[in-house]
Amino acid sequence: METNWVFFVAMIFSVTLNSTISDVINKNLERTLDITSQLVKTTYKLTVEETSGKPLKDYEFIVREPNLSYISVKDGFNKKVEIEEIQENGSNLLKFNLTFSEFSSKQTLLIETVSTKNILAYPSHIKQNDKQLVKFVGSLYLYSKYPTYAQKTNVILSSPNILSHTQAKPFLVSSNKIFLGPYENIERLVDEELVIHYENQSPFLTVNTLGRTIEVSHWGNIAVKESIHMTHTGAKLKGPFSRYDFQKDGRSGQSAVKSYKTYLPASAFGVYYRDTNGNISTSNMNLLRDSVELELRPRFPLFGGWKTQYILGYNVPSYEYLFSSGNEYLLKMHVIDHIHDNMSIDEAVVTIILPEGSSNIELVTPYSIKRRQNDLIHTYLDTVGRPVVSFSQQNLVESHISQFTLKYRFSKISLLQEPFLVILFIYIIFLFTIVLLRLDFSLTSHFHKD
Amino acid sequence: MTVDTSNGSNGGATKARGFLTWEKQEHLVKLAILILAAVLSFATRLFSVLRFESVIHEFDPYFNYRTTRFLAEQGFYKFHNWFDDRAWYPLGRIIGGTIYPGLMVTSAALYRLMWMLNITIDIRNVCVFLAPFFSSLTTLVTYALTKEIHSTGAGLVAAALISIVPGYISRSVAGSYDNEGIAIFCMLFTYYLWIKAVKTGTIFWSAMSALAYFYMVSSWGGYVFLINLIPLHVLALMFTGRFSHRIYIAYSTLYCVGTILSMQISFVGFQPIQSSEHMLALGVFGLCQIHAFVDYLRSRMPKDHFDLLFKTLVSSVISLVLIVGTLLTLTGKVSPWTGRFYSLLDPSYAKNHIPIIASVSEHQPTSWSSFYFDLQILVFLFPAGLYFCFSRLTDANIFIILYGVTSIYFAGVMVRLMLVLAPVMCVLSGIAISHLLAKYIKCVDTGTSKPATESKRQHKKLEQQSGGVKSEVAIGFVAIITLMLIVYTLHCTWVTSEAYSSPSIVLSARSHDGGRIIFDDFREAYYWLQMNTPENARIMSWWDYGYQITAMANRTILVDNNTWNNTHISRVGQAMASSEEKAYEIMRELDVDYVLVIFGGLTGYSSDDINKFLWMVRIGGSTDRGAHIKEKDYYAANGEFRVDKEGSPTLLNCLMYKMCYYRFGQMYTEGGKAQGYDRVRAAEIGNKDFELDVLEEAYTTEHWLVRIYKVKDLPNRGV
Repeated sequence: METNWVFFVAMIFSVTLNSTISDVINKNLERTLDITSQLVKTTYKLTVEETSGKPLKDYEFIVREPNLSYISVKDGFNKKVEIEEIQENGSNLLKFNLTFSEFSSKQTLLIETVSTKNILAYPSHIKQNDKQLVKFVGSLYLYSKYPTYAQKTNVILSSPNILSHTQAKPFLVSSNKIFLGPYENIERLVDEELVIHYENQSPFLTVNTLGRTIEVSHWGNIAVKESIHMTHTGAKLKGPFSRYDFQKDGRSGQSAVKSYKTYLPASAFGVYYRDTNGNISTSNMNLLRDSVELELRPRFPLFGGWKTQYILGYNVPSYEYLFSSGNEYLLKMHVIDHIHDNMSIDEAVVTIILPEGSSNIELVTPYSIKRRQNDLIHTYLDTVGRPVVSFSQQNLVESHISQFTLKYRFSKISLLQEPFLVILFIYIIFLFTIVLLRLDFSLTSHFHKD
Repeated sequence: MTVDTSNGSNGGATKARGFLTWEKQEHLVKLAILILAAVLSFATRLFSVLRFESVIHEFDPYFNYRTTRFLAEQGFYKFHNWFDDRAWYPLGRIIGGTIYPGLMVTSAALYRLMWMLNITIDIRNVCVFLAPFFSSLTTLVTYALTKEIHSTGAGLVAAALISIVPGYISRSVAGSYDNEGIAIFCMLFTYYLWIKAVKTGTIFWSAMSALAYFYMVSSWGGYVFLINLIPLHVLALMFTGRFSHRIYIAYSTLYCVGTILSMQISFVGFQPIQSSEHMLALGVFGLCQIHAFVDYLRSRMPKDHFDLLFKTLVSSVISLVLIVGTLLTLTGKVSPWTGRFYSLLDPSYAKNHIPIIASVSEHQPTSWSSFYFDLQILVFLFPAGLYFCFSRLTDANIFIILYGVTSIYFAGVMVRLMLVLAPVMCVLSGIAISHLLAKYIKCVDTGTSKPATESKRQHKKLEQQSGGVKSEVAIGFVAIITLMLIVYTLHCTWVTSEAYSSPSIVLSARSHDGGRIIFDDFREAYYWLQMNTPENARIMSWWDYGYQITAMANRTILVDNNTWNNTHISRVGQAMASSEEKAYEIMRELDVDYVLVIFGGLTGYSSDDINKFLWMVRIGGSTDRGAHIKEKDYYAANGEFRVDKEGSPTLLNCLMYKMCYYRFGQMYTEGGKAQGYDRVRAAEIGNKDFELDVLEEAYTTEHWLVRIYKVKDLPNRGV
């Protein structure tokens, strides 16, 4: 009720503030662009001031780049700032309304964004021995509704091999970094492109679809199965693939992905890695202190444009993730888990299979998801079927690895249903045999031999 | 295990329990032995699953697996009408009409049944474990059959023997998902019901036997053996004067019902009344009617009249049959003797006439060593069993004698028919062991063991029978038999583990430091094809890999292991054996997108395409269009097949050679040897430095076992 009220007030304020918009300025901005991998990770340190001295309650932040995957905002005291997306028709810009928890005329914002598919291979097709060159297109200045007083941008690249970049003075290039700025007094809504063409050999792996199935058993086990469809989305391989060069020449096929590491929870056991043709025998598992490290090697090295598909499964003991009080249960697990560093998932479908007889299911997720219809699955020793909760989300990155909670009710007595079924079945078999052997079903009468 | 069994019928008493009667004890021991044998026969076939994984083996099983998956997903109707456009491009193949569907229907039915009971097992696992499951059933059926023929004791021994006999295991390990896996069960089951029918002379048992025969026909082409053996049995009974109403009823019912049922399988169709392989059955059926009619007449007529009538009838019928038979054969109504059948009767027939039959290793004549390898002591016990059968001749015994004698002949002709021989070896050896042990163990008992545990009645009986043999001799004899059975057990387990439990789709080798290296190149290549080639890409390879490519890569192929079209295979052979330009014409003609070859030169895998190459040349040259391909062009000057500098220039420049050795000339394979040293042929290759004009390397697996080439498009004009 109270939050609703605050929201309402904020709305009114934002409407009234529209008229006095020119009073707000971006006093100072320090921006870091990390484009060492396939993701664009941006951090903004933004100082905002209301020049007329009125307390500043909210701020409109615009994300210029497409395919934004993740955003988080904190204020100067490292407190979370409420974010609300502003829906606007006919515009492909993402606008967020940030509401401060403390009102003052000077605010500091720490914003982190991650976006995908903004670094594209250029040229788009390369030969096996060529280096992978990519082009990043972003905005040179902060695209903002308010004028910006001073701003600096640090770009971190994956290699010192920079072919070209936007020459907006002052700038400084040192090794694999480009320092842009400081730029002063940039008017509002100035849209200037920043283009950097450089070498980036990091794996451009995109997970096209991730199907994650979590099967909860009250006998102490949670089985996780991830079905992954993956494509190398970097520069596509042109011409032949030569195994000889690939094996003999270390420089050959650098952009190809030979293996990558997946981290599983520390308690994971019974890990399997296979595809439709059976077990993929090329993988290593290392037990680390806080995780299980899997070094996965696809059946073949992934060159640009090549695809692969596999299933990774493991078990974890349920006491680490499943909590109960009486008949009330609470499942806390990651929505998605680590697949490889700097991963980018196009679409994830998470399916949670609960034990037979679970009811009053309630799902809380850390970010918005698309709920799918609840379903029933019939498997070993089931009678009425197990309830299935399923949801999906698009465009996910590592920052989305966080926990969901699932509350449900399950009566402990139903736990005995399955052993009881087995016992009953065996009992019936014996009974049937006894009856069959003792009784004579033939029509004619026999005289018995002794 | 086997020792336990051999004592089975007698040793029950030693496990005496106060509250069980003698019959119940015997029952318990019998049941325990049978269950143990059944479990053992399942368990001993799991080596490959435990060592590797639950995976389908070899070549043909992949086709069966693919069709089973189709059946399980699409249903029987669609399966029956399935036209497969993924194989034999551009001809396609009518799958529903060209296979024995018994295996697929069995697994799909099991699969459906389990899903109905909410046992959500994968169809692949059903396929992998079907053969071991059916071998367990075979064990039980062998017991039943031997019991009908001889005695319970012999049945138990035979069951124990068959559960681990390598000759049968070779075709029924977990993952070896082939027709033979269930066909042996069907065959023995039919025999069992047939013996039952002969013994009782009831329509019930013969109708059951016809149903079992139908199952057998639906699952394996080897049913021809069965439908010749049973008439042979009837014929033998006639000649020995044992023909009776029982046999008349049994055979007439089986033949009529069985033939009609077998014609329901679309692959069999009208063969049972047209092809010469089935003529014996038809003839004996007619003979049965005549024999019965003659018997009837004889009982109603005076002897003189009867003799006259008999002579006239016999001569006229024989001439009529001969005339009609020749006419039908000449007009083609009765299909001429097919190649495979000829090669059964004359081992050299296939080699001389049909290269594609001769090229399959399992169609080669069996060597003597492989008899011992696959059957061990059974080879020696077999004649003993035959002797015991002869010494107490019955209708049923005659059957098993005939089965033994014919199957040993066929097994000698073709390696793969060892499978048919193995069960009868077990049955006859079971009879021999049981007979011998039953005779000598009594003397052991009277001499040494504690008579206190024996029941009084039995003790008396034993004393009466044990005349003549000294206790020491008996002990020695029993000890020898026991030792032989133990050695048999060890041998079988060793053979199973070493020779028959490799999936052949995953290879493993020992490295220098003793660790195990796994070569998973086949699946690597097939998965690459599936993931990174267009959905409708057409792949040319030698026919051996056809089934695997369609099943694992899901791509269209030109030829596969169902070698029904010799001309088409020959065309592929011609492409492989021609020079690049000529091959390009053939590949354009066949719309080939990718070419796949197996190359073992780097790892030392000896059954690769270069070693098979002479067969490609022979088959390629066996048709008109390939007349220019002559085998002798591919031999070196001294008549050898060599890949080094002295090899023939035709070989060194043909497509297969170039695809296998492309850029291999730069590789160092073995220490102390020059670049391009082929480890299989133990030679440095002769043609090292060449480029491919019409192909480009698309993928080569990690150990170079599979190499895939993309066929380049025609060059643009004017460039």
